[in-house]
Amino acid sequence: MARPFTGKRLPVLAWEDARRESRLFALLCQRPLFGLGRVVTRKAWLWQYEEPCYWLITRVRVDYTAENLDHGKAWGYLTFRGKTYNEVKEIDKVMYHDWRMVPKHEEECFKKFTPVSVEIIQYVPYPPLLRAMILAQRQKEGKLDTQEPLIDLEKIIIFTNDYFKNQKKAKGTPV
Amino acid sequence: MAAPVLRAGVVSVSRAAAGRRSILSAAYVDSSKWDEREKEVHSLAELATLMDRTYERNLPVSSLTISRFIDNISSREELDQAEYYLYKFRHSPNCWYLRDWTIHSWIRQCFKYGAQDKALYTLKNKVQYGVFPDNFTFNILLDYFIKSENYEDAMSVVSEIMLQESFDDFSTQLLSLYVLYQYLATKSEFTWEEERNLGASLLLTGLKQTNTVGFSSQLYGYTFLGKVELNKGLRAVYHQMPLMWTPGYLNRALQVMDSVASLPGDVKICKEAIDVLETILQSVPEVKTDPEPSEEVEGKPKQTESEETEQSKLPVYLTQFKNLYSKLHSLDKVESESLLTLTTQLVKEKLPACEVEDIAKHEQKLKEWEQEQALLMEREKEMRKKAKQEQEARKLAKAST
Repeated sequence: MARPFTGKRLPVLAWEDARRESRLFALLCQRPLFGLGRVVTRKAWLWQYEEPCYWLITRVRVDYTAENLDHGKAWGYLTFRGKTYNEVKEIDKVMYHDWRMVPKHEEECFKKFTPVSVEIIQYVPYPPLLRAMILAQRQKEGKLDTQEPLIDLEKIIIFTNDYFKNQKKAKGTPV
Repeated sequence: MAAPVLRAGVVSVSRAAAGRRSILSAAYVDSSKWDEREKEVHSLAELATLMDRTYERNLPVSSLTISRFIDNISSREELDQAEYYLYKFRHSPNCWYLRDWTIHSWIRQCFKYGAQDKALYTLKNKVQYGVFPDNFTFNILLDYFIKSENYEDAMSVVSEIMLQESFDDFSTQLLSLYVLYQYLATKSEFTWEEERNLGASLLLTGLKQTNTVGFSSQLYGYTFLGKVELNKGLRAVYHQMPLMWTPGYLNRALQVMDSVASLPGDVKICKEAIDVLETILQSVPEVKTDPEPSEEVEGKPKQTESEETEQSKLPVYLTQFKNLYSKLHSLDKVESESLLTLTTQLVKEKLPACEVEDIAKHEQKLKEWEQEQALLMEREKEMRKKAKQEQEARKLAKAST
């Protein structure tokens, strides 16, 4: 398997795909208006992710020097793993032998996606030794706070160099 | 201009009286409205030299030039020249801007000078010529091939419509169904590519309709595609085709039967389509042993896997099919008339109404095209003015220095 113009060989893992699938523009050159407004997917995404990943084509610039007009650049809206991005971006990896066009009658069914709500965990308990140290420190300082010490994952803590130098040595053992 | 139109009108009226041959009425196909619109008269030689010069200098040729060239064709040889310039335009930076009216005009001119096979050739090689007609033009093409009973060529036109996925107009759907069933009636043995094209076209037309013919076509289409899937693998079905890559086409055929059984109303499925599905479900286990030794071991594990799962599911499909068939029979939803007669009936009933709509839409489109063309010509004039002004300014600057 070699590239047509330079004659260089494709990487080994691409040989299978180069035989079976087609490049994006090989699909687009056969459609009117070069497939504007159509939905295209990559076989790699189909195999890897359950959620729908596709590009909605908005702009096409064809390389007119190609004999079959099957090279060029394209731009569109990306929907990756169900999440649609509202920016027109250039379609990446257009020349990979990896693309499939979604037929019009299957577009709706393909795009259907019910997002699963992701739980964002903010507070997490301390590891046992550190927790014991914190409780011991509280007891020493005389705070009668019975609240469980929790790590705040959203808080951004920045340690300066002086923090550790200025820590005085405590009396007794930590726990 | 009037005489040939009248003659064509008289001839097709008599043909319509005979009944079978013409499908579309004369009003649809006749090109008087198209010929009557205002055309600019240019000399083809001038336009040709202009285009050659522009291509030599690697500058883009405007879409107006190519449309003027095609409008002003007056003989068969000039058609060949126009074909060459269409090819060059497609391979120029402006290839995206090839206008709808240019393509329509090209097909009309091909028909006028008796070069319908050339029109078909440019349509088949649409990648190289950029010929992507709209529904009205497709209807005219189909009608011509139906009238000359050349169902092979009509079938290739339907395949092109299928590849473009433009079965939007009801008239196109009706005509394509008619062509498909006539083609099925003429030949009994098909290559797998023909079966795949037939299946995809039947499916896509059937999906747009909700009557007996529609659902039977869907079933027929899924059956053909299922057969190709079993014999040649799933990739052979969806590669370069507007079809889905999920396996299980025979399963979908059974689901169509199921949905028809559960739909209220008078929708039925034709016995023809059901018989074809039955033969495929029953006959393929015999063929199973043959392809294995002759299949090349090109390392297509996924494909052979899907084939094997499909073949193993065949007995399951067969039992499901028998259940669904008995259910349909009990609900009296099996139509015993042949699909061809049903389609011809449907065509006769519905086509005249569609034609009127289509003609109205086409006239509207003509107006829109004229407006667009006027806009483009204005823009061209303005650009020429500006270029002239700049040239004069440069001359003045040179003269003064």
